[in-house]
Amino acid sequence: MHATYVIWSKHMTKFFRNAEEALGLAIQSVLWVVLFGVGMRGIVTQVSGGDYLAFILPGIIALSALAGAVGGGMMLLDERLRGITKEYLVSPIPRLSILLGNAASTTTKALLQALLMLLIGVLMGVRLAGNPLGWLAALLLVGLFALGFSGIALAVAAVSRSIMGYHGMIFLFNLPLLFASNALYPLSVLPTWMRTLVLFNPTTYLIDAVRALAFGAEPTLGLFSSTAVILLFAILGIWLALTAFRRSIRR
Amino acid sequence: MATAAIETHGLVKRYGEVTAVAGVDLTIAPHNIYALLGPNGAGKTTTISMLTTLVPPTAGSAQVAGYDITSQARQVRRRIGVTFQDIVLDPDLTGRQVLDIHGKLYRMNRQERKTRITRLVELVQLEEAIDRRVKTYSGGMKRRLELARGLLTDPQILFLDEPTQGLDPQNRIGIWNYIRELNRERGMTLLLTTHYMEEAEVLAHAVGIIDHGKMVAEGKPASLVSALGADVIRVHGHGDQQHFLHTLGTLPFVEQVQIDEHDNLVQVFVDNGNRRLVEVVQAASGNGFRVEDIAVAQPSLGDVFLRHTGRTFRD
Repeated sequence: MHATYVIWSKHMTKFFRNAEEALGLAIQSVLWVVLFGVGMRGIVTQVSGGDYLAFILPGIIALSALAGAVGGGMMLLDERLRGITKEYLVSPIPRLSILLGNAASTTTKALLQALLMLLIGVLMGVRLAGNPLGWLAALLLVGLFALGFSGIALAVAAVSRSIMGYHGMIFLFNLPLLFASNALYPLSVLPTWMRTLVLFNPTTYLIDAVRALAFGAEPTLGLFSSTAVILLFAILGIWLALTAFRRSIRR
Repeated sequence: MATAAIETHGLVKRYGEVTAVAGVDLTIAPHNIYALLGPNGAGKTTTISMLTTLVPPTAGSAQVAGYDITSQARQVRRRIGVTFQDIVLDPDLTGRQVLDIHGKLYRMNRQERKTRITRLVELVQLEEAIDRRVKTYSGGMKRRLELARGLLTDPQILFLDEPTQGLDPQNRIGIWNYIRELNRERGMTLLLTTHYMEEAEVLAHAVGIIDHGKMVAEGKPASLVSALGADVIRVHGHGDQQHFLHTLGTLPFVEQVQIDEHDNLVQVFVDNGNRRLVEVVQAASGNGFRVEDIAVAQPSLGDVFLRHTGRTFRD
């Protein structure tokens, strides 16, 4: 537990020291909300009875959680390629804490990113639901989702041989997760085949739940099942990371 | 302490088809400096990786500081310090942060960390740079920072994999001085691998020469050297070596002959260089081999290395 904390705090120090990374992630988020969101708001004024910006904000939050997770995975990859992992491996700390430290910092970054987006959204005039408990529950779900995707990013980082390879593999996940979801368009307008596809995407459940909890939309998938799916996704992601990481250190 | 600081029995590491270490038996007495020499790819780094619990051995066993490297890896890790062959530092952290985080990983408390860091930074002379980011450091400064990190937890045994690789002579001698001081003052056991013959000659109480994953010679540098013969006569020249070599083989006082075809060099190990010089010159002349230069010298560890690995010690 102690070592996990040490590694987490080291990563956070590096994150904030490395201004480009932190700033880059922040600017990326702002661009999404301000340019994409506002642009689309112009052409689509009404979606299922709400503001379009409020409609796509959960999707953008999910996307930025992904971006945060990708950045966190980079940290593990960077330490692996530089050999810094060896410093941990010869020190008297549990092997697992190396992964947990990484997962914790990765999730923290993803969550920070999501929070920032939410804030920008509110500044842009998106109205939140009345119940602050709902916001909290939404953030919790975003955190779980970030944990799951962090797991995937870390699993890929644990086996990648190069930074290019890592980004290539991550790219395979990134855009499909956004487009094959209900982030940009409501489920009801999709053709059946795409609807089926979209329902296999955990992002869909997160977005639906966040819309309901934070922005007061009517849930289309049911809050309980959404929560269950996200929880399952988080467990799966961490399991993947664990498996890949174990394999990478036992050479 | 009666037990050895490091002891291995038939240590083997295989990566698929490739055998990196093919059964190494090694005993290092406590408070000694031991140098592991070998050509590139001989298995030095793999041996160190196993002893520092980075990779598990395929077969064989080893005790480090009295603990088994596989079943008691935690105990081993608590008692060792390591610097790796390549520089392993976070470029975005300051030197002080690197050391502080390392100390935290080993659960040193704040006060301990502070005093140790101050002392070590002084030892490796990084006082001015310690609060700068590592990416601004020169190669020598990075090495010194790594040395300080390896020493931070006051290990019983320090592993140094190529500690002076790529350093200028001044920095190299600096590192040698730290190593000797640590050994003399704290009785620290050191295992180092090196590319530089003089490094082993200057520092080590004992050396092991490893080639193709096997230990080919082991002992005190002086006794390894004296086993070669008292003196070496180095003959540079060109022409037909065959007859020269044949004649040398018939001379009773010649203990051994080595040929380095690259440099047209023939090395003749004899019981007494000054006395036998004339006879060696005679053997060389008049048979189509022209001598260009001849010198009498004492054999060095480099000659021992050549003898056992068939390769000259170059980097």
